[in-house]
Amino acid sequence: MRCEICGREAYSQYCDLHKKAYENLVDNYDVWKKASKVTWTEYLNEVLKNPNTGLWVKEVAQRLLSSGSSKE
Amino acid sequence: MLEVGRRMNERTVLVLCEKPDAAVRIAKALDEEGKPLERKMNGVPFYKARRKDEQLVIVPALGHLYAVAPKVRNRSIYPVFDFHWLPKHEVEKGAEQTRVWIDAISSLSKEASEFVLATDYDIEGATLGYTILKYACGEKDREAKRMKFSTLTTEELGESWGRLSPHIEFPIVESGLCRHFVDAMYGINLSRAMTIAAKTWSGRYATLSTGRVQGPTLDFLVEREKEVNSFVPTPLWTVKAKVNISGSTYEAEYEKDAIDTLDEANSIVKDCEGGTAKVTSIEVKKFQQPPPTPFDLGTLQTEAYSFFKHTPRRTADIAQRLYLEALISYPRTSSQKLPPSINYKSVLESLSREPRYMKLATDLLVQENLKPNEGKKEDPAHPAVYPTGNLPERLLNDPERKVWDLIVKRFMAVFGEVAIRQSARVSLDVNGRRFYLRGRQILKEGWMRFYSPYIRAEEVLLPSLVEGDEIRAVQVIREDRFTKPPPRHNPASLLKKMEEVEIGTKATRADIIETLYGRGYITEERIIVTELGFDVVGVLGKYCPQIVSVSFTRDLEKRMEDIQSGNEKMEHVIDTAVSQLRPILEELKRREGEIGQVLSEAVRKTRMQERIVGGCPTCETGKIMILYSRRTGKRFLGCTNFFKGTCKTSFPLPQNGTLKPARRSCGACGWPTIQVRIKGRRPWTLCFNPNCPSKEGKT
Repeated sequence: MRCEICGREAYSQYCDLHKKAYENLVDNYDVWKKASKVTWTEYLNEVLKNPNTGLWVKEVAQRLLSSGSSKE
Repeated sequence: MLEVGRRMNERTVLVLCEKPDAAVRIAKALDEEGKPLERKMNGVPFYKARRKDEQLVIVPALGHLYAVAPKVRNRSIYPVFDFHWLPKHEVEKGAEQTRVWIDAISSLSKEASEFVLATDYDIEGATLGYTILKYACGEKDREAKRMKFSTLTTEELGESWGRLSPHIEFPIVESGLCRHFVDAMYGINLSRAMTIAAKTWSGRYATLSTGRVQGPTLDFLVEREKEVNSFVPTPLWTVKAKVNISGSTYEAEYEKDAIDTLDEANSIVKDCEGGTAKVTSIEVKKFQQPPPTPFDLGTLQTEAYSFFKHTPRRTADIAQRLYLEALISYPRTSSQKLPPSINYKSVLESLSREPRYMKLATDLLVQENLKPNEGKKEDPAHPAVYPTGNLPERLLNDPERKVWDLIVKRFMAVFGEVAIRQSARVSLDVNGRRFYLRGRQILKEGWMRFYSPYIRAEEVLLPSLVEGDEIRAVQVIREDRFTKPPPRHNPASLLKKMEEVEIGTKATRADIIETLYGRGYITEERIIVTELGFDVVGVLGKYCPQIVSVSFTRDLEKRMEDIQSGNEKMEHVIDTAVSQLRPILEELKRREGEIGQVLSEAVRKTRMQERIVGGCPTCETGKIMILYSRRTGKRFLGCTNFFKGTCKTSFPLPQNGTLKPARRSCGACGWPTIQVRIKGRRPWTLCFNPNCPSKEGKT
């Protein structure tokens, strides 16, 4: 199986690197929600445009946005 | 036949030096009249000097003239465990000049009755001297004497000649030989395993390398890269009160550094609206700041990076040049000690001849007791880096002048008095919310005066305030911030990390970092790991995790150090290394197919990445990259969206020379640029924007 983003070897839809980025993205949503009451989509957009966001996180966020992923 | 001028009964002593520049200095210092005769043999310089009843033949090496190589010459075979020393020109491409040097030294050695090794007094100097004495001079390693010095000043070299060690330092040689064997065994076998795996899979050759220290070093960078790339910033807020005191504005910070929610931040701002700031307390703390410790190589490299942005390798090279010109002591040292034997007073007196150091050196010389603030680190072979007191005999270039100045000022600063600094914290109450106004001040400069401008002590002076004062709070503002990822390593911080975890040596760390750049595993000054770097560590971590393990490398390092102190034997260390490496290589061979696939893909991606010049100025979503026309074979720049059929942007390129993305924007139009290199010409940067203002008026 190949990572949907980078094509590396993967055991799920993402490789280890993008999987870790996805997990961080999901974990930190709670912090954002508590801090500024954003929706999941707003959160993904905010993360995407933030210059401090890691590259793999941006790739995952971009993919989630384009696939219309919803967490709420 | 005796040469003209040669005295009867004179003994001929061959003095072997490490580099030509060192040989000149040593020859001048040892010749009775300071005027040795320069001779050449097939272009190899050597010097004849006379000292009492001795005729000295001083001959330089070119660093190592011999290298460790596997006995099996076929590069497609691994594992290989039988290694031996061979002339470097038989082993390395581009080392052809070592042939004439070996021949010259060999020929000169036949006329010598005594031998003195005068290479740098460290593990590499001892090892390269040993191999030349053994292989080029005909087994003279056992009878050679040793000259030991830390500077190339005439005085020290003369003294050193008067107290020659009866033999070369064999435990250090044994440790050096062991290091070369072990490093070659790891480097050659692992690099072959990866290169062969990739070539077998893809049919294309790409040099892939790793080594005993290279693997763990790259692994640090990969771990940091993972943290940076999977970092999710989270919001936080800070609140500041701008207060006006006697016509000047000062910023006071809210007592809580980071506020977690927007609501809380807004409520603090709201509470403070229209309030005045009342001084509720003033805390003043004085503290002493001792002088810095003398420079060991690592600290010098870190400081030079911090102030001049010199890479560790560049600083080491510059320091080596300054050493060869007798301006500073031997730089490859771990010591932070300055023994009294270097004669502090004499060095300062000599430095005072230089106008810019005159005042500072004179001020130190009035001190009755000159005592350096030494650090903990020691080196049995050399003291810390210090200026010899000699002044430059030529105009130093800018980087050399900067490094020399840094070393001189550091030397003076270590003798300075403690500096006294003061910090003040004024607590302000604004409508029940507490803010702090902070100030910093230097009360007594002490050593800082000698180290200027290399001081990091910004002063923030506060106005005179007393408890109970009321200040008009001008404005209370909220600042929106985000958490930041851990900083990327730079060459200096990476070197420091290698020192901390004790891998590599002071002489090799900077080179290992350069190798990582050279192999395309890392790029940029704020180090970014490439796809290839990731996948190399990925493969090593998966199939042979020991190779990227710090403890594995450090244990081996420790055992090699133990050889120097006589607590370990080279044979044991090599046997252990072989027994650890053999199963790793067998596993790599067994999994060659899957490893080859991963590495080939990484090489392919990296090569693609190397061809990307920047973002497409037309569609703004694609990337402009160097492409080749299938029809004509000519190269051009095209947008990656061409393949999706959404952008047809293209630009012509020069067809001669090599091209690579310059990784910087055009100063005139902001478009990405390309570096062009044509043999025999200086490289230049090309902006491919046909309408770039820089091209106006050019045809």
